[in-house]
Amino acid sequence: MSATLQAMLLSLALLQEGAPLRPGFPGLPAGRAPRVEIAWNRLYDAEQIHALLDRLAAEWPELLSYQVIGHSVENRELRLYTLNDPATGGEREKPAMWVDGNVHGNEVQGAEAVVYLAWYLLENRDSNERVRALLEGTAFYLLPMVNPDGRAHWFQRGHDAHSSRTGVQPVDDDRDGLFDEDPPDDLDGDGSIVMMRKHVPGEGTHRLNADDPRLLEPVPPNDRGIRGDWIYVGEEGLDNDGDGRINEDDVGGYDMNRSWPSLWQPEHVQGGAGPYPLYWPETRAIARFLLEHPNVAAVQSFHNAGGMILRGPGAEAFGEYPAADVRVYDELGKDGEKMLPFYRYMIIWKDLYSVFGGFVTWTYEGLGILSFTNELWADEQASPDGRLASRGADRHFFDDRLLMGAGFVDWKPIEHPLFGPVELGGFRKDVGRVPPSFLVEEMVHRNALFCLRHAEAMPRVAIRPPEVTDLGGGVRAIDVVVANERAIPTRTAMAREKKIGQPDRVLLEGSDLAVLAGGFRTDRFRPERIELQEKEPARLLREAGLGPREELRVRWIVRGSGPAVIRYQAEKAREARLELELP
Amino acid sequence: MPITVLFASLACLLGPQEAAAPLELALLSHAELARELEGLAALHPELVQRSTLGTSRAGRPLEFLRLSGPGAEGTRPALLLVANLDGARVFSSSVALQHARALAEGYATDERVRALLDSTTVYVVPRANPDAAEARFETPRAERRASGIDVDNDRDGRTGEDEPADLDGDGRIAWLRVRDPDGEWIEDESDPRVLVEADRGKGQRGVFRLWPEGRDLDGDERVAEDPPRDGRVDRNFPAGWQQHAQDGGLFPSDDPEARALLDFVLARPEIALVLVYDAQDNLVGEVKGVGDDAPRVLRIPPEGVLESDAKLLGEIARRYREATGSTVKAEGAERGTFTRWCYEQRGLWTLAAALWDIPLEPPEPEEAPAEEPAEKNEPHKGKEKDGAPRPSDDAKRLEWIDAAGAAEAWRFMPWKPCEHPELGAVEIGGFAPFARLEPPAAEGARIAARHLEFLLDLGALLARVEIAECTREELGQGVTRVTAVIENPGFLPLLSRSGRRTETTRPAKVVLVLPEAARLLGGERQRLLSNLPGSGGRQEYQWLVHGPAQMELGVSVESAHAGSAFRKAEVQR
Repeated sequence: MSATLQAMLLSLALLQEGAPLRPGFPGLPAGRAPRVEIAWNRLYDAEQIHALLDRLAAEWPELLSYQVIGHSVENRELRLYTLNDPATGGEREKPAMWVDGNVHGNEVQGAEAVVYLAWYLLENRDSNERVRALLEGTAFYLLPMVNPDGRAHWFQRGHDAHSSRTGVQPVDDDRDGLFDEDPPDDLDGDGSIVMMRKHVPGEGTHRLNADDPRLLEPVPPNDRGIRGDWIYVGEEGLDNDGDGRINEDDVGGYDMNRSWPSLWQPEHVQGGAGPYPLYWPETRAIARFLLEHPNVAAVQSFHNAGGMILRGPGAEAFGEYPAADVRVYDELGKDGEKMLPFYRYMIIWKDLYSVFGGFVTWTYEGLGILSFTNELWADEQASPDGRLASRGADRHFFDDRLLMGAGFVDWKPIEHPLFGPVELGGFRKDVGRVPPSFLVEEMVHRNALFCLRHAEAMPRVAIRPPEVTDLGGGVRAIDVVVANERAIPTRTAMAREKKIGQPDRVLLEGSDLAVLAGGFRTDRFRPERIELQEKEPARLLREAGLGPREELRVRWIVRGSGPAVIRYQAEKAREARLELELP
Repeated sequence: MPITVLFASLACLLGPQEAAAPLELALLSHAELARELEGLAALHPELVQRSTLGTSRAGRPLEFLRLSGPGAEGTRPALLLVANLDGARVFSSSVALQHARALAEGYATDERVRALLDSTTVYVVPRANPDAAEARFETPRAERRASGIDVDNDRDGRTGEDEPADLDGDGRIAWLRVRDPDGEWIEDESDPRVLVEADRGKGQRGVFRLWPEGRDLDGDERVAEDPPRDGRVDRNFPAGWQQHAQDGGLFPSDDPEARALLDFVLARPEIALVLVYDAQDNLVGEVKGVGDDAPRVLRIPPEGVLESDAKLLGEIARRYREATGSTVKAEGAERGTFTRWCYEQRGLWTLAAALWDIPLEPPEPEEAPAEEPAEKNEPHKGKEKDGAPRPSDDAKRLEWIDAAGAAEAWRFMPWKPCEHPELGAVEIGGFAPFARLEPPAAEGARIAARHLEFLLDLGALLARVEIAECTREELGQGVTRVTAVIENPGFLPLLSRSGRRTETTRPAKVVLVLPEAARLLGGERQRLLSNLPGSGGRQEYQWLVHGPAQMELGVSVESAHAGSAFRKAEVQR
């Protein structure tokens, strides 16, 4: 406690003297030790993620706290952590950045990235001027796990890298009237679901790779009678419901990133969508929170994998995004490509695949917030020059040489009740979509810092010193420039087109002031060119808000004198306020 | 103004042997409706269960009745009747309640009622939007459709600051017209009481502005343009939902009433058919089908009823018009309606009737059912013969009101001058609230009775799975061939084309039932059946079984929404 106080006093003193701030860890390796040591070379289960954040909240109780915004299907808490410096203003008075992870239960490392972001900001707040400024002007809403059930299942039960994407509300995938009755089975109890292959000499589709018999390769179609000796018989599992198929009705069976209301499409158009938008409690809780927090001005959602910085539209049918917003997206996305090696800045439907009802498309199209999804970790990152890729041989090389073979379950025979003698084998669940332990820290750091790039771009409004012109007869003109100093507009083009949220307001208040007219100047040099607002000239409304780095010229015609206040109010920017005295 | 609609005796429905006392059904407030439902359930506990499907935004319970004859084995196919999603259509609640009452009271004596309730469960949600409906019983009386979120309609940075008000103190929110050179309305040439939009293309210059009766509380020279509620339950369903529409809600299912109804349907796979009494109609107006395999556009399937379903719905619509004589085509948007969700996204057979509107023809001197509605509408198609101005639809409605006499005069309020606090000289008048939604007393009773006629026949239209044949044939060496034919005697197919496309309606499960000692040699023990046409559609299955000569073999078929059956396999004679 006293250490905290000391650090604060020290940094305050430094600030006042204008002395250079002492850089710290994380960031620079020879700096002081962090106040909360966290191992950033591993992944944590659902409870441990909360425990890490609780340690941070215990160290910085005035800055980090959580609220439970809802519960998952299995009644796990959805803990939304708020990172804000209340001494500099309430969170709702500031533009806020929303960062979440792990909507897909198996896409786990997003949660670590969220925790890292909080840790980085907290650890650096007293030693880094930009971090301090960011926390003065900005709040962060952090939801490390959108789908804690999916995460818990992925950690606790048998899975592969791709399964447990869903939540755990039962769905009758095979439409036989039974729910989740035929999931994969972890036959050898090692926590990973791997492949099953069967030896069928001369009657198969695959053969063993000559250099590495752990690899199966398809036998090309031919007329020479050459057949393989092996077939794949599916993933590790049984025919639990006796319908002749294995693993066809797994736990859950939906996709909480297809549940959001913008261009939502039903299940037969968009697999995983569920019966109606925001059907699952996790999604609905988040939607309610965001709808109640119009101060959210930036959204980042963490997924895995493939190395992507994604933006909407999710489907071609939505049409193009407004060009003004695309320019801001591009500015951030292209920086992201430089910050995140092997990551590509992409448009979801065009460069990846069509997604109806995705989260970041809703936060932009529905709420007017600039939003990205990052797909964390690309196979190419296994080697800094990208020479190791996703091919089986490359994966084995990496696993053999850099993990001592720990990531691969080597083929072993078992007796299967339906298929007879088969072999089980394959890469473990934490290979392929998550980095190896020694590369976790780099991944979370680069992605957290991409969030800060985004957060620093959130709108900041300044009111320049006004100019008062005497027009004669006791009437004066007040000219003032209101500027957005950042790249993200106070109202995105999407928000202004769709009339999302409240228009911005420019207010002139003075008890001895009669505001005769007011409006926005359209010409820098001709003060008479002005878009007058007929009603309530002291309260000018601006649907368009302030664009990227826009300077808006406001003119009022007033009678009277005395103290006056000019305010600029926007949902997604701190109120700017300027006091003046009219003589 | 009649707050009560009297329903005539239902003797005709209850059979000739019992002339029941005249039933009086009123337009009911929420509390009154709750008492009626409670009473009905208490009087007929063996037939009627009363329960709730959720709670409205303002905290009112959303009530429903479940009606079914005693002694059901397994789950019966179900019909769902939903009324009053559009908050102003309070009349539809009364019709739904009349149906429930007629079913409960008629079960003991009426063959058709018994046939329906012994084969089919009937769910009735008489008032899907109680919050908005309650405005019918408040003063001033207003047609209120919205009960949801408040939107800043006029984009002045304030919400709900300029709502309608009863300026002339007559207890009704009517219309306000004001002479204004910026106006967009003119008097209809054929009836100056009616306003029509000026058509600049014809050289018409607007003279009036037209607003709901109200003040200009926010001083923007617009009247009642930003009322405190905007979200409409009947625009809040996922099919065709329009993002950023002022009446659509923040997201589909945002309104608790809409979500409750969605969950209600999802929890009851026995529901095979949905009948909606509301603002939509697919029983009178023509339903144009889209091709069953019409290509998707940018990955999205075209909207609308699939051709093969439209054909069957067309036949039901024909029977509907025959039973009810209704010529009421509904107008209005189809965005985000319950009706569309049920059909397009759940594949349910969905029927929608708008029960009444002011006819575009003057009332007949003698009440005779309209037999040739198409012909009757003819005079209004194309130009008037003698070159007289073509009356607008509202002028025709006014003509009907005039001809209907004093009892119906409340439906139009003559324009009368009034001094408006903000606008100065204005006139207040126009169509009264509910004028186009609530029929005359006698007509209301007839509508309810005729729609009941239609409802009583719906059960027999539903798909049912039956085992028409189940035979066994000994092939020697302990091998037996079992053959079963599943048949659907109902009119409708087991699944609609939409239900097969959306894969939301459950297929029937056909299972060979065989003893432990037997072994299946050929065929799948369990099959899912989704494509079974109506009107005697059949599907045959065969199995080869090895086992003891006297083993018991049989076939079962189970459907969530078309019944279940078991039949022992017998040697064919």
